[in-house]
Amino acid sequence: MTERNHWTQLSRRHLTRRALLRGSARAGVGAAGLALVGCGGDDDDVQQQAVTQVQQQDQQQQQAIQEQQQQAAQQQQAQQQQAAQQQATQQQQEQRAQQQAQQIEAQEQTQQDQAEQQAAVSRYDKAPVDGGTIVDITAVIFDSADASQSVSSEVLRVLGRIQSKLLRFSNPDSGELAADLASGWEVPDGQTVVLQLREGVSWHAEGPGADHPASTAGRTLTAEDLAWNIERQKSGLLQDGTEGAFGRKGYWSNVASIDIDAGAMTLNLTAPNAAFLQGLANEFNLMGQPELLIDIEPDAVNVSADKVIGTGPYILTEWLPGESISAVRNPDYHSPGPRAHNWVWNQSFEDPTAYRIAFEQKQVDSMLTGGAELLQSIQAENPDSTFLTYKGSAFPIAAYVNPIFEPWNDPRMVKAIDIAIDRRALIQQLAQGLGKASGPVPWVQEAWAIPQEELAEFAAYSLDREAALQEANALWSAAGGAEAGQIDWVNSDAYEATRPGSTEAVAEMFNQAFGTDQFQGVTQSYGEIFPAWFEKTFTTFFSWIPNLTVPDARADLAAAFKTDAAGNYWGISEPDEIDAKLDAATQEFDFEKANALVREVQDFIIENGQFGRHIIYNAVEPTVAWNYLHPALKSETEGYTFESESLQALDSWIDPDDPSIEGRAEPEPRPL
Amino acid sequence: MQQYIVRRAILNIFVLWIVATLVFFAVHVLPGNFASQQFASANLGSVSPEAIARAEAVLGLDRPVFEQYGTFLWDLVRFDLGESFRSKRSVWNELGRAVPYSIELGVLIVLVGFTIAIPVGIISAVKQDQLPDYVLRGGAIFALAAPVFWTASIAVILVLQWDLFKIDVDGQPHLWENPKSALQWYLIPMFAGGIAGTATTMRLLRSQMLEVLRADYVVTARAKGLPERTIVMRHVLRNAWLPVLTVMGLTVATIIGSQIVLEQMFNVPGVGRLLFQAITLRDTPLLEGLVLVVAFVVVFTNLFVDLLYGLFDPRVRLA
Repeated sequence: MTERNHWTQLSRRHLTRRALLRGSARAGVGAAGLALVGCGGDDDDVQQQAVTQVQQQDQQQQQAIQEQQQQAAQQQQAQQQQAAQQQATQQQQEQRAQQQAQQIEAQEQTQQDQAEQQAAVSRYDKAPVDGGTIVDITAVIFDSADASQSVSSEVLRVLGRIQSKLLRFSNPDSGELAADLASGWEVPDGQTVVLQLREGVSWHAEGPGADHPASTAGRTLTAEDLAWNIERQKSGLLQDGTEGAFGRKGYWSNVASIDIDAGAMTLNLTAPNAAFLQGLANEFNLMGQPELLIDIEPDAVNVSADKVIGTGPYILTEWLPGESISAVRNPDYHSPGPRAHNWVWNQSFEDPTAYRIAFEQKQVDSMLTGGAELLQSIQAENPDSTFLTYKGSAFPIAAYVNPIFEPWNDPRMVKAIDIAIDRRALIQQLAQGLGKASGPVPWVQEAWAIPQEELAEFAAYSLDREAALQEANALWSAAGGAEAGQIDWVNSDAYEATRPGSTEAVAEMFNQAFGTDQFQGVTQSYGEIFPAWFEKTFTTFFSWIPNLTVPDARADLAAAFKTDAAGNYWGISEPDEIDAKLDAATQEFDFEKANALVREVQDFIIENGQFGRHIIYNAVEPTVAWNYLHPALKSETEGYTFESESLQALDSWIDPDDPSIEGRAEPEPRPL
Repeated sequence: MQQYIVRRAILNIFVLWIVATLVFFAVHVLPGNFASQQFASANLGSVSPEAIARAEAVLGLDRPVFEQYGTFLWDLVRFDLGESFRSKRSVWNELGRAVPYSIELGVLIVLVGFTIAIPVGIISAVKQDQLPDYVLRGGAIFALAAPVFWTASIAVILVLQWDLFKIDVDGQPHLWENPKSALQWYLIPMFAGGIAGTATTMRLLRSQMLEVLRADYVVTARAKGLPERTIVMRHVLRNAWLPVLTVMGLTVATIIGSQIVLEQMFNVPGVGRLLFQAITLRDTPLLEGLVLVVAFVVVFTNLFVDLLYGLFDPRVRLA
């Protein structure tokens, strides 16, 4: 993702000792050549003089002259030989100097290569070491101690290390699965998922959660525990019969029934669903202990360590939102790992100055907010002891119009808006250039998204803005856009707070595109925006939209575009071109065929101006970290876009031998 | 005197009621509430109207505004400021944790401010229109012009650049627990805040002193042959002090204002940072409680300063 462009290469072209030697050698060879050319004229003069003498002497003196001539020739030959010897010596010296310079250059190159290789090994491929405490920061708000009833990524950052899922991602961005509570899995007929359950898994035996009167410390995990978690979410009901806040109710509703048989659990699905399996690894699908979850139900929103017990790699010892959270390694964890002995979350730093102080003085191990410029500058100031990684944001930025109401009920207006959105300019303006244009399937769902170069073939994503704007204006004029009166374009106040000026920038973008002043930027809170979506009464919108949680795009597309989908706020109804194809793609286990169907749907959506759901871009977010920290990464410079807490829990480690660790005071977690 | 105090106290309570009412309705007029902010800062993927409605019901935000106002006032009369939506702790509990930090930092800021302002004001007045006066006045104008966050940011950059000392933004030690570490942590904010507050006091003290220095009784004192030091410290400074004292009362409000910025920048878990969090998260009970307490401190500090007038100037008869 990090590109070596002309400017970064230029900045790296500094004068090295090797370059100096190379230059000196070239200068020496050049000077010697010039000297030889200068000597050549004298030899010709001596020969001409000898010929003239021969012509002027008489015949009798010819012999003597010839003798003299011979002597002169001999002398000349001797001089030439001497000159040749000098030249040869000089050439040899120059060659030797050149060879030496080349040898030094080669040695330095080798040393540099070795150093680079070593550096590469030390940073990315170095063998992990057990021990140490990783220091993160904690958010201020946590919505529930029960992962099933949480919609907060912050909850995952804690519970993802404490509790386990049926499966987990070994690569959250590609969707590769790994065993967790299920040691193996198979999908025999597309509608049945058989999970072989891991043996010998037990709930935490120690810690505040284990000490809670309602929990059963150290009890063996059973298939019934897992089935209870699924059935509870599927029903959506709490113990008192009221509706719970189960955000994954829709996902678990795909399960028609559960069969439990010696060491295995079979999930019988309501219909063939190729995307279902990946959902088991969704970070929110953590499994809790039934007896404790039942007990804390009335007060789950008040989080604390004693309300959490799990089977995961860490045991939660403290959970004070916005202040401190700590977890220690579970000695009875069912699988190898984790590497780090403890995980501590310090308080949040809302101000970049405080965060910067904390990072630069190693009170936290990494820094991920404060703006790309700041993070890049911190890394540039500490090039040998810190590293930058980039990851895609799972939150797409989008603009909505509601085609149910005027003027957006004219498809030409919807399409005109889609084309008028200058995605690349917005990326520059709002994301400091760190982002990529997204289609109906955002680029972060990389296996399903339309490649960037193919996306650019559509007018809305075209690099030829002039032509695109002509098309947009033609549609706008044909639809009578100028008669639409004032258009209030709603931005979320939360987005405006993090990107000041974005509200006006979006309105101005449309005004410039259509040569008008009809567009006015207004802000609203999500408290006002969400209900308007659900009631389909919204008019316009620009901001973050619900984030993507799994790399498989099929469920997200279906949730937004299928006729009967709850998330279809635009009243889209395309039974043949969208519904049927998405259904077919969802049931298709052959990736190539499913992908082709999804692509057809995407093309159709873009051709229709995205039906008012204009996906704009997904940002790229940098993180700077000290070299001693080894988080789980996708590549040397790329982090994971999708939540990777269970992976981080197992694979992150601290290198106690890295020089950058000097001066770091490791915090003590709250003990068990 | 007692009647005056009682009258002022009643007036102050009336002011506090107005503040409480204004804050309550201002917070409720703002779009959004804690439930929506919570979802906005969390994962938007699974949010539903039911989830928002449920969160609002749990927090009591679904009740009519005037019903909420009535409950708020009734709780207030009983000195119950409610519970923070975020931490689920009582507002008094939150204040109990935050106030010591704010007092520590506030006292340090005041100490730095007046330690610099008083001698500088005196020197500047005594050396009027001479080089020290020009330099000190120039410095005061600079301090007045430089925003507190700018001064603090520059200081932070210098400390980090040269690795001068550790700023313990995470440990958050109290002065009485770990004085060295706490002072290192407070050093930049206390100087940034102190310097910002210095300018006004210094300039006021200078102008007051210049006025008094020209008074007849000062001329008389000089004619009597009193030493200049005695004239300045005993006769001039004491008489120039009263308006400065008034400003000191108002300075408390300014310091609290600058502390919001400084506490945020240096992660000081004081009242200022709490207030900022309460605003951004729409933590209504916490916000209302904090504003009320801050208003209480400001109005009663001013009453206290007014009472001090009598102590400094026997001519003032408050009763």
